[in-house]
Amino acid sequence: MNLSYDTFDMKHMVRDLGEMSTKLIKGATNLAGIDKIDVGTAPKELVYAEDKLKLYHYKPEGKVTCRVPVLIVYAMVNRQYMLDLQPDRSIVRNLLQHGLDLYIIDWGYPTKADMYMTMDDYINGYLNNCVDFIRDASKKEKINIMGICQGGTFSGIYSALYPEKVKNLVTLVAPFDFSTNDGLLFRWSKHMNVDALVDTYRVIPGDLMNAGFLMMMPFNLNIRKYVEMLDVVEDRDKLLNFLRMEKWIFDSPGQTGECLRQFIKDCYQGNKLVKGELKVGDKVVDLKDITMPLLNIYASADHLVPPAATRPLNDLVGTADKTLYEFKGGHIGVFVGSKSQKELSPAISAWLHERDSDGQLKETAEVKDSRTMHANPEGKKPRKKTTE
Amino acid sequence: MENNNNFFDAWLKSQELIIEHLAESTKNFQRTFCGLGGNGGKNSGGVDFRDVYTSWTTAVLNALREMDSPDMRLLKETLSKALGGSNAYMKLYEIWLPLFKAIQAKTFSPEAYKDLSTQAKYKKMLDQVFGFDPDAIAEVSAQATRFIDTFACSAQQFMRPWVEASEKSLKTFPQFLKGHPESFMTIFHTMFNAFDGTVGRIFHVPQVGKDREKVELLLRSLDDLSVYLAISTEYQHMIYITGLAAFEKVIATLAEKIGGGEEIKGFDEFFDLWVDVGERTYQALFQTEDFSKMQGKLLEASVNARTRFFKLMELYLYDFPIALRSEMDDLYKTIYELKKKVNGLEKQLKGVSA
Repeated sequence: MNLSYDTFDMKHMVRDLGEMSTKLIKGATNLAGIDKIDVGTAPKELVYAEDKLKLYHYKPEGKVTCRVPVLIVYAMVNRQYMLDLQPDRSIVRNLLQHGLDLYIIDWGYPTKADMYMTMDDYINGYLNNCVDFIRDASKKEKINIMGICQGGTFSGIYSALYPEKVKNLVTLVAPFDFSTNDGLLFRWSKHMNVDALVDTYRVIPGDLMNAGFLMMMPFNLNIRKYVEMLDVVEDRDKLLNFLRMEKWIFDSPGQTGECLRQFIKDCYQGNKLVKGELKVGDKVVDLKDITMPLLNIYASADHLVPPAATRPLNDLVGTADKTLYEFKGGHIGVFVGSKSQKELSPAISAWLHERDSDGQLKETAEVKDSRTMHANPEGKKPRKKTTE
Repeated sequence: MENNNNFFDAWLKSQELIIEHLAESTKNFQRTFCGLGGNGGKNSGGVDFRDVYTSWTTAVLNALREMDSPDMRLLKETLSKALGGSNAYMKLYEIWLPLFKAIQAKTFSPEAYKDLSTQAKYKKMLDQVFGFDPDAIAEVSAQATRFIDTFACSAQQFMRPWVEASEKSLKTFPQFLKGHPESFMTIFHTMFNAFDGTVGRIFHVPQVGKDREKVELLLRSLDDLSVYLAISTEYQHMIYITGLAAFEKVIATLAEKIGGGEEIKGFDEFFDLWVDVGERTYQALFQTEDFSKMQGKLLEASVNARTRFFKLMELYLYDFPIALRSEMDDLYKTIYELKKKVNGLEKQLKGVSA
């Protein structure tokens, strides 16, 4: 009978240890040689600013083939440069190369001076002002909006309130139906005393939010990730990419108290958006007023915004031209995964190009009530399928 | 709350008994020593310092004689020796006193000394000096005994929840030493409930006086902190026992593999197993309603403690030449509202000019 220690391949383990030491030494050399972690490097110009908000206009890479500009509205929880995290995996660069005219909002880093900012201020104020600026600058009555995560929810709300200003709406991993308990954020938020939280902090620290995010996958996000860093530490480029992601994860602006209070109470706890009871400023939001074409993208393995929170949007909107796109991957993979670059960005571009004309779709007039697009491994044109 | 009230009611009743006995004892001491009141005893008429002292020491010594419970023996012996020692000095003083008086009165003579040495006269003098009153002494002794009993009872009433909690905890302690994780929580809960049901309530008592507000805030801050610590301990316990369960699963899986003749090839294999099992086990915990509620409670307790502490700090910092948080909040509110007004006016102007 073997003793327990006989069942461990000790020779292999000692070799592992030796290799690890070598990697650590090489990694230390590489780390010492990196003095700047560059992110968001696609060339852009500041075109509008209001308080801490900044609106940037990306410089086109080649000919602009989609005439209607696209405004990217990112979440306020993290920084918008996730869409341009590294030059070879950049949704922004990818869309620019596909001929889109891109603008992006940088919400900035709120301080306690911004503690009274509400959803009304962000949506009816800042977002509306940015849209108006782009409409003026591009001389278009309507523009395209691409909202991501919380920014997608805000974009959906905005589109319902101002359908006359939005030509096409693209939502990426954006929650709308908050009744689900599939994701821990949704489950945990229901027992959160957000009044006590906001009254105490005024502006909720990004670190506090991050502690919650890290806790959702404690072993993978706090342990495995750093152990696996050893696998890339010898390669300067891979190490730099790892550090870029690390920078983004912990570059978390605080959340303005009043805005977060309403977002948690009315959406996560009250699910008012789906019920048609959400009020932003003096306006009641009815998702049926989303009458422009909709491309709703969800990630099948999203642990932050589960499909159960994103998919129902297509059943709630008033438009007949609505497309549901399933991305096979997780929340972060949507932005930086290789599949995202190969499949998702071209699909978004194609979908917007199809709807760039003033009238009907360019390629087909046969728009069904509901369609589903699936990520296509060959990178061909997205397959459309009528689901009803 | 009901338990709290029981505790305070019982404590109150025992305190009332103490006061009642103390009042009665004081009255009887007064009668015995000073001859006041109707039952002053034989020497109720005129007394001097020595009568009072002697009666007191006698009364206490008698009382001590009756305190024969095992836990009072040490106290009794100590006090007896102390009082006995001082008595000896007193007696020495009394023996020499007539001589001193005679010397002072210049009446000292062999005749006078002879009178003093007469046994009968000496006894009479002693009786007068010491003024024993057996009834009064017995009464004082009984009073003292009752008083001590009542005091002990009151102290016991106050300590009861703590004693019971300690007894319960001690019973759980062997389990804790054996490594049963839930035993720690049992001990913690037992002791915290004892605290919360007794002196913990003092943190909510309204204060009076100039610094009333500060003292109240300070006490409530401490209370908030204690509540936070209690919930945090419970939360950490949930995390700890889940980690323990996860590791047990890892060991069981390893044992199964080894039992099946498999070999653990390297660190990575063990690491992957540990991370995967750990993540799954914690996910299962995080998905429960109990954990979500506990997390909500923890967050609420922590922010409540912070809020109260901030208020307290504002009170202490009020006299310093710095802007306080609430003052800044007011300022931010004013700026926010002004900005909105200006923005609205700008839009109106734009509309008019267009």
